Amino acid sequence: VIEVVDPGRYTSIQDRGRPGFERFGIPPGGAVDWFAASIANHLVGNEPDAALIEATMSGPTLRFQSETTIAVTGGHCPDAGCPSWRAHRVDAGFALDLGRVSPGLRSYIAVRGGIEVPLVLGSRSLCAIGAFGGGVGRPLQKGDRLAIGATVSSPAVSEPWPESHRLPIRGPWEVRVVPGPHPDAFDPPAFQRLSATACLVTPALDRMGIRLDTPGLRLAATEILTTPMTAGAIQVTPSGGLIALLADHPTTGGYPVIASVITADLPLLGQARPGDTVRFRDVGLAEAARLWRRLSGWLDPSA
Amino acid sequence: VTLGETIDSSLLGLVLALERALNDQRPAGLLSSVPAYASLLCHYDPAITDVARLEEAIRRFEGRLEAPIPTGPLMDVPTRYDGPDLKDVAHKTNLTPADVIDAHSGREYLVYCIGFAPGFTYCGTLPDELVVPRLASPRLRVPAGSVAIAGRQTGIYALASPGGWNLIGRTDLRLFEAGATPPVRFKPGDRIRFVPNR
Repeated sequence: VIEVVDPGRYTSIQDRGRPGFERFGIPPGGAVDWFAASIANHLVGNEPDAALIEATMSGPTLRFQSETTIAVTGGHCPDAGCPSWRAHRVDAGFALDLGRVSPGLRSYIAVRGGIEVPLVLGSRSLCAIGAFGGGVGRPLQKGDRLAIGATVSSPAVSEPWPESHRLPIRGPWEVRVVPGPHPDAFDPPAFQRLSATACLVTPALDRMGIRLDTPGLRLAATEILTTPMTAGAIQVTPSGGLIALLADHPTTGGYPVIASVITADLPLLGQARPGDTVRFRDVGLAEAARLWRRLSGWLDPSA
Repeated sequence: VTLGETIDSSLLGLVLALERALNDQRPAGLLSSVPAYASLLCHYDPAITDVARLEEAIRRFEGRLEAPIPTGPLMDVPTRYDGPDLKDVAHKTNLTPADVIDAHSGREYLVYCIGFAPGFTYCGTLPDELVVPRLASPRLRVPAGSVAIAGRQTGIYALASPGGWNLIGRTDLRLFEAGATPPVRFKPGDRIRFVPNR
């Protein structure tokens, strides 16, 4: 059992999410930095779909009531007193005080065996807007007690995860996108002008999305008929600002999408902090698929 | 896949027909689909297929789909017309609140889409006299069960959430239950009627 001594800024149970339920208005959810979360599970020998803990901006304090193995990945945690990106054995009674997350915004704590909370609609992830999943239907609070599961796939990894196979956790960010799918909603050079702009991450960000300003650029967009949305979609609001959608995004929207962030670069958006700059670069669909295969390959020992 | 840009029952018929056809034929690599008013989002596995192949599979249905106007079951939504924006809507439409209630409840609506948040039910189309814009600034919290209007749409907030529509009433009907199969009460193509609690 893990006792939540202090929940930190916003801490929740996440796994790979529940894609496929968007037709009911349910966001796919899951770890925003899916790559860092996958590595954390890999390091402790968990199945890829094991549930872990996602911390935001400032992490939780957790007390482990039995001996176990943990790994911390994602955004940097300078005060955690426990090196990231490698598996650690911890003794019964050990308290992990993750502290602030910086650079980066989100860190992941995987526990060997996974966090054991009930599956709801195929996933253990918290769906905050639906107030279900994640064990308690809300972010973690002081006093919550989390059971540890027993399902593992392999021994914990003894080596640290190589730095050469990590993603950047510090801006300025170059985020790769595929333009569209609503070109008709914009003047033709809109995307070129956007890609020449250093967009600014505002403090308005959560698991649903990130608002970005476009200094020096005023995009004109007309609203569109309500249409399905995906994580990575970059919506243009009537005031000309951007909303880049993340894992808990509204499943439909009426703002046109000027471009969509490729899946391989969604982890970068998940680590962007207020005040960071982001440039969006068109890579095309074929390259987007190649980059996704490359990142997935890092996770697959047989590849 | 975008099939149109208007709220039109025949376009919804086409969206649902395309989704049925894809469900029957299951092109390799297609993971799931999400229907809305006049578009269908297709999620695919890039390890198995790509956009060109999927597009070809979808284009094969072009002009060959049997796409009747949806006529799902007709269901009643008991509604208390006591929403905080009812008077404002009456004012903007030059109607009395009673006229607004009569106009809103006096017709059948088609469920076009479940989206935005879990169970949120988008319906159309409103009579001309009830068309009002969204609120200038959205509410941070709209209570669960709120019956609302915006533009030519009417909708029901299944859960408490932020929202920018005009709230004219409330229903006690539960539209979303995470543990139920399916977790939502309505689906696109169903028909509903708002029945005033008197």
